[in-house]
Amino acid sequence: MKIVIERDALVQSVQDVMKAVSSRTTIPILTGIKIVATQQGVTLTGSDSDISIESFIPAEEEEKIIVDVVQPGSVVLQARFFSEIVKKLPQPTVEIEVQSQFLTFIRSGKAEFSLNGLDPEEYPRLPQIEEENVFKLPTDLLKNMIRQTVFAVSTSETRPILTGVNWRVENGELICTATDSHRLALRKAKIETESEQSYNVVIPGKSLNELSKILDDSNELVDIVITANQVLFKTKHLLFFSRLLDGNYPDTSRLIPTDSKTDVVVNTKEFLQVIDRASLLAREGRNNVVKLTTLQDGMIEISSISPEIGKVTEEIQSESIEGEELKISFSAKYMIDALKALDGTEIKISFTGAMRPFLLRPLHDDSMLQLILPVRTY
Amino acid sequence: MKSMYPKNGRVIFHVDCNAFYCSCEIARDPSLEGKAVVVAGDPKERRGIVLAANYIAKNDFGIYTTMPLWEAKKKCPHLVILKPDFDLYREMSTKVFNFLATFSPILEPASIDEGYLDITDCYSLGSPLEIAHQIQKGLLETLKIPVSIGIAPNKFLAKMASDMKKPLGITVLRKRDVPKVLWQLPVQSMHGIGEKTAEKLKGIGVFTIGELAKTEKGVLKDLLGIKGVYLQERANGIDHRPVDPEAVLKWKTIGNSTTLSHNVTEEHTLIEVLRRLSDSVSSRMKRKRVVSSTLQITIRYANFQTVTRSKTWLNPFQEQEEIFRYAVQLLKQHWNGDPVRLLGITALDVLDKKESTKQLDLFSFEEDAKDEPLLNAIEQLKRKFGEGIIQPVSELLHKEKSLKEKIRLRYDTKQKKKDGESM
Repeated sequence: MKIVIERDALVQSVQDVMKAVSSRTTIPILTGIKIVATQQGVTLTGSDSDISIESFIPAEEEEKIIVDVVQPGSVVLQARFFSEIVKKLPQPTVEIEVQSQFLTFIRSGKAEFSLNGLDPEEYPRLPQIEEENVFKLPTDLLKNMIRQTVFAVSTSETRPILTGVNWRVENGELICTATDSHRLALRKAKIETESEQSYNVVIPGKSLNELSKILDDSNELVDIVITANQVLFKTKHLLFFSRLLDGNYPDTSRLIPTDSKTDVVVNTKEFLQVIDRASLLAREGRNNVVKLTTLQDGMIEISSISPEIGKVTEEIQSESIEGEELKISFSAKYMIDALKALDGTEIKISFTGAMRPFLLRPLHDDSMLQLILPVRTY
Repeated sequence: MKSMYPKNGRVIFHVDCNAFYCSCEIARDPSLEGKAVVVAGDPKERRGIVLAANYIAKNDFGIYTTMPLWEAKKKCPHLVILKPDFDLYREMSTKVFNFLATFSPILEPASIDEGYLDITDCYSLGSPLEIAHQIQKGLLETLKIPVSIGIAPNKFLAKMASDMKKPLGITVLRKRDVPKVLWQLPVQSMHGIGEKTAEKLKGIGVFTIGELAKTEKGVLKDLLGIKGVYLQERANGIDHRPVDPEAVLKWKTIGNSTTLSHNVTEEHTLIEVLRRLSDSVSSRMKRKRVVSSTLQITIRYANFQTVTRSKTWLNPFQEQEEIFRYAVQLLKQHWNGDPVRLLGITALDVLDKKESTKQLDLFSFEEDAKDEPLLNAIEQLKRKFGEGIIQPVSELLHKEKSLKEKIRLRYDTKQKKKDGESM
């Protein structure tokens, strides 16, 4: 194998596939990046067996030559060293040449590295996915949907299924749900698809976080293919595979309250700032609790007490309060996360009692909601 | 001045704030001075009861704590009724203790409105009586908080003394005064004897403190356990407990450990030990009404190598099953399989259950929500009759059990310290 390649294109690609490479893996060859050169271009692959990323650098694009494939071939190079080397090469072009025993030379300007490569035949094959039932989402919408849900996944392994985001596809709609059992985030969107196929799968939160990092902010469509145990995200030059989580996701739809006893409408930004101030004193490790009390004339009081430190109270004028009076305590962190996830200048919060979950929704938008379980005080 | 102090004894003050909640209210709003004032559950609530009454309300109108508010109003139509403001009381309490600490660093707050002060080495400040006057005057002038002070050679007598003259009393109680002053009093008036203990003592024909003082130690030990021995000593004016500034901090951990009769390598045996330990830790936590979110286990191996490992959970625990489950989890994770000679379980950073919080869970909140109507009812009872009027049966039952537990399982603080260091 011998190629001459644009350094910047190579760096970008290496950076993308590095998202899947883990230094701690039970399969030693997965600490490497697989490089395959054909006349069409160069394909890089990184994988930790949960996530696999394939990045393609075309030989030429928009009439500009990016790679000159002198001799097709392939090799696996130690990801840690290879990624650092390409970043620091002195010239805008790089020559990579594999000799016998996979000894690989990387040359740029007057710099020359030689790296001991590995046999690409030993690199695991990526899952073969039949691309029959594809649905499409614009990149920026996909990123938003991930951002608005993935933060709510569980970080604890007590219920592994909750470390993932539930993706349900039905009736031309994708519904993403994440919950760590203390709060829940839900986001819906119409998808472009020609198939009637419905799905109900759980994608690891970590996979979605990594995916989000390597997607750009364009509105180009991403192809999504779901199989029994894998999901594939496909953009022009990128394949992102993730394992799915085993097991059934709990049915959360029946847990989302449909009625309410107290409805409050507030300005999102203002409310966020009040909660943020109140949480300054909320004790770390003790659930970071703030208390909300409805007052007269549409006023809301937010307060927090930390006996050793001090206390804080602040009143905020709501847009409206309807229904019963209410005193409720909740985690400031969950509230801040939820408010940041919601779009919309005004949000409606619907309560059904001090010990029942409450809902946050943008005022005129039912495509997203956040649910928070309150904190019980004694 | 040293001559006014005992040669080889201690001088202990018990400082007790008089009608503390009312005093705080009057201190905040001086216009209330000279008026009959009560703090009551909720003045708007028709069925509220009196939580605290100042001395004017008490002495001039015969209003007492727990009296229904309507009755109090009848006795004194111009009665000033205030809603409790616990934040204010806590704040004032801190100021009172800060003031006391300027006299002696050996200060032990015993509750929100009383504390012990050891002034044995304070002869440079004046005689004990002079210091007591300085404290009383100082608190009254700077904070407007009246206090009664008991002066005695130990905590028990100081506490009994401060009770004798209120408000603004200063009472000296010497050990030699005990027969004359205390012995004719009924046992219930003794600090540390509640209704239950008094009932038991009546069963063996002990009605007064004097009778308690003269009862055989063995008899009391059989009846009340180790507590009986202490009570008998107190009835004789003996109390060796030091004034302990750390006392408030002390129960920030609650733990039990046990040395096994032989070195154990079978997991199921260790798990059985953990079950017993978690039972006693849970009982003690319930008795003190505290919860914790961090559990630590101690494993001492046959070669005396000792490890402690802990884990923090999101929500506080108190129940035996939870403690047991967490302890087993820690054991399975950290035990290396070598023979074990000692096992321990400690709940770290315990805090008052009332201060604790529980993050509810989407899949189980209904259980807590079920309590909502009950809690609302309890809330109303408390408003009516004051805190502590109602508590779960389980807590009362555990009080019974825990004494036996104490004897069965050894709780050795020194031991635990050692373990911590060798980590």
